[in-house]
Amino acid sequence: MLTRITGGRVIDPTAERDEIGDVWLRDGRISAPPPAGTQPDETCDAAGKIVMAGAIDIHSHIAGANVNTARLLLPEWHRASAARPADTPLSNAGWPTFETGCRYATMGFTMVVEPAVAPHYALHAHLELADIPIIDKATLSILGNDDFLLRLLRDKESADAVRDYVAWTIDTTRAIGIKVVNAGGAAAFKANGRQFSLDDAVPDYGVSSRAIVKALQHAVHDLRLPHPLHVHCNNLGLAGNAETALATIAAAEDLPLHLAHLQFYGYGSEGERGFSSAAARVAEAVNRAKNVTVDVGQVMFGPTVTISSDVLRQFNARSQAHPNKWTIFDGDANGWGIVPYEYRANNFYNAVQWAVGLELFLLIDDPTRVFFTTDHPNGAPFTTYPQIFALLMSRDLRAEWIARLPRPAIELTTLPSIRREYSLGEIAAMTRAAPARLFGLKDRGHLGPGAVADIVVYSDDADRAKMFGGAALVFKDGKLVVRDGKVTREQWGRALTVRPGYDHNIDRRLRDYYAERYGLAHDFMRVPEAAISRPEPFEHVPCAR
Amino acid sequence: MDHAWIDGQPVQLEAACAEAARLLERSRLPVIAGLGTDVAGARAAIALAQRTGAVVDHMHSEALLHVLDVVRDAGIMTTTPTEARLRADMLLLVGPLPADALPQLLSAKLRERIVIWLCPGGTVFGGKVQAIGRSPDLLPTLLAAARATIAGRPAGPAPVGVKTIRSLGDQLKAARFGVAVWSAAALDPLTIEMLCGLIKDLNVQTRFSGLPLPPGDNALGVLQVCGWMTALPPRTGFARGFAEHDPWRFDARRLVERGEADCVVWISTYDPAPPPWTRDVPTIALTSGGASLPRRPRVLIAVGCPGVDHDAIEYVAAAGTLAWEAAAARRTIIRVSDALDRIAAALPTSVASPC
Repeated sequence: MLTRITGGRVIDPTAERDEIGDVWLRDGRISAPPPAGTQPDETCDAAGKIVMAGAIDIHSHIAGANVNTARLLLPEWHRASAARPADTPLSNAGWPTFETGCRYATMGFTMVVEPAVAPHYALHAHLELADIPIIDKATLSILGNDDFLLRLLRDKESADAVRDYVAWTIDTTRAIGIKVVNAGGAAAFKANGRQFSLDDAVPDYGVSSRAIVKALQHAVHDLRLPHPLHVHCNNLGLAGNAETALATIAAAEDLPLHLAHLQFYGYGSEGERGFSSAAARVAEAVNRAKNVTVDVGQVMFGPTVTISSDVLRQFNARSQAHPNKWTIFDGDANGWGIVPYEYRANNFYNAVQWAVGLELFLLIDDPTRVFFTTDHPNGAPFTTYPQIFALLMSRDLRAEWIARLPRPAIELTTLPSIRREYSLGEIAAMTRAAPARLFGLKDRGHLGPGAVADIVVYSDDADRAKMFGGAALVFKDGKLVVRDGKVTREQWGRALTVRPGYDHNIDRRLRDYYAERYGLAHDFMRVPEAAISRPEPFEHVPCAR
Repeated sequence: MDHAWIDGQPVQLEAACAEAARLLERSRLPVIAGLGTDVAGARAAIALAQRTGAVVDHMHSEALLHVLDVVRDAGIMTTTPTEARLRADMLLLVGPLPADALPQLLSAKLRERIVIWLCPGGTVFGGKVQAIGRSPDLLPTLLAAARATIAGRPAGPAPVGVKTIRSLGDQLKAARFGVAVWSAAALDPLTIEMLCGLIKDLNVQTRFSGLPLPPGDNALGVLQVCGWMTALPPRTGFARGFAEHDPWRFDARRLVERGEADCVVWISTYDPAPPPWTRDVPTIALTSGGASLPRRPRVLIAVGCPGVDHDAIEYVAAAGTLAWEAAAARRTIIRVSDALDRIAAALPTSVASPC
């Protein structure tokens, strides 16, 4: 089946293409234009519309035991009284798995990375992901607070041992990469630590947070995983924590490192309240460190829920829970904390946070090194993305918002002085080309021949929020799945995984470790293909950058 | 060997599924209950409920909701069985516990571990355990007094002496990592909420967490599936075209006893216990080997036991999560998920499944 999408403005930063033209697709892949005169089986008129590859969200908490805990903590977001009422908190967040896939697809997203899977809960996470329709998925497995790794580091075992353990974890849990969350902080909290920074040592192990990050960074690099170590730094959310971000960027040295939801680390301690934006300094450091990528974790106003494996931070944030209920789970390694929260436009701190996110977006020069996230749902539900695109693309719109926010907050930021507006090309680079590169996905994020036919057609509406809120057409794997902002076809995507090799000695060691410590087979966390009741549930991404 | 019956007469599986579909189609309020099944069975049951406007309820929803009510009213601090076993220097056992829970929890040899048991009821344990109170009826006031004492507030009359309460408070505060263990089925929500409040208060100064022991029959596995498919726990109905949760309205036992439900799909693959109602209601039973039923169901399909007869995913307590269980004694027998899918396939196509 040959399809021609014709007459649209095709924006494909990978090919440096921005022109009125055609996109051809055949059997689920994008194809080169056929010889002149070839008649397509189907033609889609995209005149006056924008054509891009499907968007990729690199950091969104959409599935797993932690997300499910949040669902069960907050039944009022699914009140019995009405069918998904539009005006209750998070009713727009696409809460069950089915809605998650549909809502992402209608916005033109065709792949989402679930960034926080505790290895023991990998099967659960993959079962949920398999019930999210349409989009492709991938997971990051969390290491860095687990006893096994901390022992390896304490006992000064070889880098090979760490590397094998990392590779075994990725392979067993079917992940695409590794994330470290407040390295050592959860382990410190178990020993009643209440704060934890980059050079603090984990009690009982004597290993610093920095040493954990470095060991994992090197392991990921040596394994030639496409995605660099994904770091959730220490001191999330605290005044003055820009120093932590700067120290972590410096600690990256010359190797690749990804810093997650940087907005939550963009804070200075100036002003009457001792809380200000340090985004300009942090952005400058990112601009200089070409080996570093970041995603933003933009805050938007409204009720949400924070879901984090940073138990220490979540415990310390418990007094801010709104509504006033929260859960903390002391896991075998990281665990998690769920704290509902409401960002308010008239709240000084929240207004600073909102501005910090936009400053980072706008002050980091290279749109292929700053990624578009809200850390869903931590900064805001993913359904706020269209509004954020609009804010990035219009300084007038930002000025309207700024005028409604507390002036003392805005005065502690540089946002009003920033004139930059994102172009559609930059949006496409940030949400398509760059994420595909960040995860080594050669056949995604662009519209060149051979790419997976994940294609979005947006109406070129001056109201950018409206434009990005409901795509005119979305093709997933070459099949039309969305028309005029509505899902028209259900189908199931795949989970993308990498499979680095490792020395099977680590298997034997882990077998003994789990038998002794847990009384379980060490691979109880494995995700057999047969466990996922969908055809071809996984897709292999090759290693080697 | 026969695998399917209609009114006690052996039939082909197709005939049994067709009859089940006919009963569901004619039903004004079907209930899919028991739900003692694996993850695949739960997924199929919820999908079938969405199509037929049925209610889903698990046989242990009551116990699940004891804890869940506290979670959604106040929040909770919990930990894993392994953390409790290996790291807790204080175990606070609360109320009656299943006999096999303790040897497991105490199996690790730790240098120091204090075990205090509040109101053990009839449970007897020979180890070195300090018991306070006896009857579980005393727990609410005992826990309230302990919590008040720890917070430095005046306490009302406690069922044990002031000295005992004070010493209990001191021991709890002295723990470096304490874990309170209770059985979800044995304590009511208010008692659990008081206990969880006590745990939260202790964390202001030290570390303490909770370990509710879950009910069986894969109740936690089914809870997780309900959570991601509907965002709600069991006792959820779909009659109005969307998921609604109401612990009272969608209690399967109440729906049957009051005559509101006119068709039941009873699923029980682990536990031979019969449905907890006395009223006769047209029943489609999906049970494995030993399950006993008080009355002959309209349709009976013999299904496999997950993890025994066939591979399955279910909640594994030692792992504290869902895990893949290879069949222990594999044999050819239909699974709950397959049976439900066949029943769904025999329904008229007028209602499409969203899952």
